[in-house]
Amino acid sequence: MDDVLSVLRQAALFEGLSQQELQAIAALCQVRTFRSGEIITTQGEHGDELYVVSQGFVEVTLMNSAGGGEPRTVVQLGPGQIVGEMSLVDRGPRSATVRSLTDGALLHALKRDAFLQLCQTDTHLGYLVMRNMAADLSFKLRHRMLTGR
Amino acid sequence: MPAIYKVSYVVIGEEHPGAILNTDKEPRLDDLVRIGAREFRVVEVQELIPPHGEFHFLHASLKAP
Repeated sequence: MDDVLSVLRQAALFEGLSQQELQAIAALCQVRTFRSGEIITTQGEHGDELYVVSQGFVEVTLMNSAGGGEPRTVVQLGPGQIVGEMSLVDRGPRSATVRSLTDGALLHALKRDAFLQLCQTDTHLGYLVMRNMAADLSFKLRHRMLTGR
Repeated sequence: MPAIYKVSYVVIGEEHPGAILNTDKEPRLDDLVRIGAREFRVVEVQELIPPHGEFHFLHASLKAP
């Protein structure tokens, strides 16, 4: 549990949460390990988990809207970053394919229903997490604007 | 709680997606940064958005050394 708490404290998604609130989220986390090249989410498919990168790097790639051509890598994400948040909040299909760039990449997975239930039950936690998630999406958008990708 | 720097690294002068990662050390000019298998030199650092709690949100431009 202490290891998970340490990971969560390093993620801006959980900035401002109390120790008790972090423990409630840690209790929902499932550890996943990925090999280099292994796919974590696939663009267009259904997904119901958000991931927090704990160790290693992942890359986010997009197919063009027509579905043809080579996939384009839009960003690499390292420790403390989250992936899968769009499907978590809008319940739409995965917006991108995410694959591990590192052998033994360690991610913490949060199931949507359990996570949203916690946000609804503990509205202080829910407000902070949703505010931070909006800030994270904004940060990623700013990064894409800077890279021109 | 020590500061955490969430950094948007953008590689200039080549086709590279850049990276976002957290670090406990503030990036500074001329630092060497490893992204994947490659190493880059920091050529610019600026605050992307104001800090919040222990988190600082930075943008750093990188170039191949």
